[in-house]
Amino acid sequence: MEQPLAARNHQCALTRRMSHLTLNRLSKRYGETVAVADVSLSVARGESVALLGPSGCGKTTTLRMIAGLIQPSAGAIEVLGVDVTQVPAHRRNMGYVFQSYALFPHMSVAANVGFGLDERGVGRSERDRRVAAALSQVRLEGLSARKPRELSGGQQQRVALARALVIEPDVLLLDESLSNLDARLRDAMRLEIRDLQRSLGITTLFVTHDQTEALTLCDRIAVMHAGRVEQIADPVTIYERPASRFVAEFVGRSVVLPVERSEAGLVLGGRPVRTAHPVPESRALELFLRPQRIALAGPETEAGAHNRLGGVVRSHVFVGDRLEVLVDTQAGRVTVETSGAGAVAQPGDAVSLIWSPSDTLVFARAAP
Amino acid sequence: MSGRQREQPLRGRLTGLALIAPALVLLGAIYLWPMLGLGRMAFNETGSTGAMAPALSLATFRSLFEDPFTLETTWNSVWLSFVATLLALVLAYPLALFLHRTQSRFRSLLTVLAVAPMLVSGVVRVFGWLALLGDRGLINAALMGSGLTAQPTRLVYNYFGVTLGLAESLMPYMILALLAGFGRLDRACEEAAATLGAPPWRVFLRVTLPLTVPAIVLGFLLCFVLAMSAYITPKLLGGGRVFLLATEIFDHAITNANWPAAAALALYTLVLVLLLVAAYAALTRRAEA
Amino acid sequence: MREGAGPWLGAAAALVYVVLLAPVAVVVFIAFSADSFIVFPPSGYSLRWFQRLWAHEALMRGLSLSLMLAGIVTIGSLAIGVPAAYAIARAKVPAAGALKAFFLAPLLLPTLVLGLALLMALQPLRLTATLTGLALGHMVMTVPFVIRLMVTTFATLPDEVEAAAASLGATPWRVFRRVTLPLAIPGLAASAFLSFLLSFDETVISLFISGPRASTLPVEMVRYVEGRTDPLVAALSVVLIVATLFVILVVERIAGLARVVGR
Repeated sequence: MEQPLAARNHQCALTRRMSHLTLNRLSKRYGETVAVADVSLSVARGESVALLGPSGCGKTTTLRMIAGLIQPSAGAIEVLGVDVTQVPAHRRNMGYVFQSYALFPHMSVAANVGFGLDERGVGRSERDRRVAAALSQVRLEGLSARKPRELSGGQQQRVALARALVIEPDVLLLDESLSNLDARLRDAMRLEIRDLQRSLGITTLFVTHDQTEALTLCDRIAVMHAGRVEQIADPVTIYERPASRFVAEFVGRSVVLPVERSEAGLVLGGRPVRTAHPVPESRALELFLRPQRIALAGPETEAGAHNRLGGVVRSHVFVGDRLEVLVDTQAGRVTVETSGAGAVAQPGDAVSLIWSPSDTLVFARAAP
Repeated sequence: MSGRQREQPLRGRLTGLALIAPALVLLGAIYLWPMLGLGRMAFNETGSTGAMAPALSLATFRSLFEDPFTLETTWNSVWLSFVATLLALVLAYPLALFLHRTQSRFRSLLTVLAVAPMLVSGVVRVFGWLALLGDRGLINAALMGSGLTAQPTRLVYNYFGVTLGLAESLMPYMILALLAGFGRLDRACEEAAATLGAPPWRVFLRVTLPLTVPAIVLGFLLCFVLAMSAYITPKLLGGGRVFLLATEIFDHAITNANWPAAAALALYTLVLVLLLVAAYAALTRRAEA
Repeated sequence: MREGAGPWLGAAAALVYVVLLAPVAVVVFIAFSADSFIVFPPSGYSLRWFQRLWAHEALMRGLSLSLMLAGIVTIGSLAIGVPAAYAIARAKVPAAGALKAFFLAPLLLPTLVLGLALLMALQPLRLTATLTGLALGHMVMTVPFVIRLMVTTFATLPDEVEAAAASLGATPWRVFRRVTLPLAIPGLAASAFLSFLLSFDETVISLFISGPRASTLPVEMVRYVEGRTDPLVAALSVVLIVATLFVILVVERIAGLARVVGR
């Protein structure tokens, strides 16, 4: 998120020019069930992309197809322009970090990390040197003789990472790799993985159901739903300009209000409302807002070019780093997030909710 | 109330003893007493007329160990049991691995099918092998019918037939032991090995096989013990031409009515199996360390 | 989602199934042969060996003896084994672990040794080749088996259920009859089924303690197969296999076969 938008645009242009990993209409069917449908994606060299979605959306199946662990029903996978769809897993040179880590329980840490080098016929002294380097990369020096069961969860995770990195893979694939760690360790590992990925400049694909992980770790996010990619974009765009109702609901918190269409335009709670974005053709519409993009103001405040909705404060909820204010309006109940600093309207006060048309998104209402 | 509470444990104990007493008496009479009798019998003597003479001597053991035939039979038994168990392992392993991995909805039916022979009388299965391997059996009929051989090939009433039949009778036990041990085998580990560049046969050698060693050890032990004491299969498929400890024990007891010799040979076999099992366990423990 | 076993492993497994099931399959095939001896391919097919079966006196006597014996052994094993298992698993019997070890010990010994020991113990009592002797001999196997199965069954019953019933005012006997027993039905069915099958198929112990006066079906079958190989025994085998399948289906309905065989 700290990267300026210009740099991102530049990177997107780069992606189009020189794709490192390309998925072309990749699909997987199990009998009648469609696990993955027509997934297309290109990832630039050094870029990190998250496959984000709820469980069962096909993100892990996609990752397994890239690794060669599952044969796709249709479509193609290309690495540096070479079609690898029919190449077996052991000749693909992909570094895969499993959700369960899948460390070999009968081998020491060093043997685990050295496994891929043995298979590549790397000589003994060379192998030992690279294993030591990989272990120091993940800060596990001195544990090389241990067995996996003698390590903590975080250490096992690092071994799995070192094992995948030491073979210098074309692409690093991480399958829900942080989900088995507790919350504090997860935050630490997240930063560590990001730094490692950036410094090595390795092309990386993360599979995750955790939006924070996707938003903080990756250059771009592909949001998946029911086997399809709903939107591929950088984190800011995914958050600010979700392309579909599903993306808007899945990523971040939202306020959803029913909105009507009239001859003059859109009507929310009896008042006209403007949006800077296209409005779908559908008759039944819903309005999406981010709670922290709504400003609270006095009841008679002039909104100018902004949207305004009057209401009465119902209650406060203190959530530590922010204050949530629940406001009853003509259109329904709205949650507003404020920093909690300064004067805050008290329950029973009349207030105005003010927000920009560019923060106003309109989607077709979901089928009941 | 307090009186009843104090009374409860004693009454519970008495009830427990009353429940357990019939089993204790029965097994005491038909297991412990006969086994003690067997141990005692081995120290009796056999007179020159063949009649048993009560004694407390090692004469029976002495003649057992002086007889070179004992060593030969021992070797036959150990070697045949080893080969049959190995054959059962080699055959059962892929089947058990298949049952462990398959996603088929007939999986439980296939598992039952694999162990179903256990529920069919051993005599029936031996008869099946006779029909398959006999001079006029299916295999010889096929061999001669296709012109590969002119004369029937001897496949049964020899060590080959006994080994094959024994291996088949051990397979269900082996499959059950392997399946129980395959719980340790994580498919993700095999997949990890593949993504690290190991072709399927290397994945098998470096990951699958080492992770299933405990299951193999257990299955091998169980089946070897069963093989050493198997009687029906060697008796019927050996046709009197295969000499094993088990067949010798039976012949001593029934055909020759030489009970001290039968008892001594039975004790000898028990101790031998025990020693082999202990040695095997020690070896595998050292290999794992 | 994972891929299944793969074609190579599937093919290997299919081959092993052939080896495993070939002897049983060939027996079923032979039973319908019209020839007087085993020959491939048979010159014709008939049911004549099934008709001959009913007329074969020794085998039929063995069959009826084995059925009666298995029934007696089953009832006896349950009557003696189930209370003992209950005492070990639920009642606070002193030295329950040692008792269990003693009860299960016969399962570790080869039947060949057990048979020999039984012969030497029963002969002086003139109990060999009698129904009583055979029943006692078989129970060396079946009673430990029932105890092992039922200890597992009783031990896995939830502790609280019995306590709950007792707290509701049920007497110990009523707790056992109304709560414990119904929950143990699958285990009991499995014990009965396996005791019956174990006794009915038991060959080695029977070979030691059978005689001309009383000889079980497996013993008669061994004698027959030793003498000659004609399709008569195959026809008998088919009858036994069909009967076993029928019982398996019934037990599967009650208890679930995988569980029964697995333990």
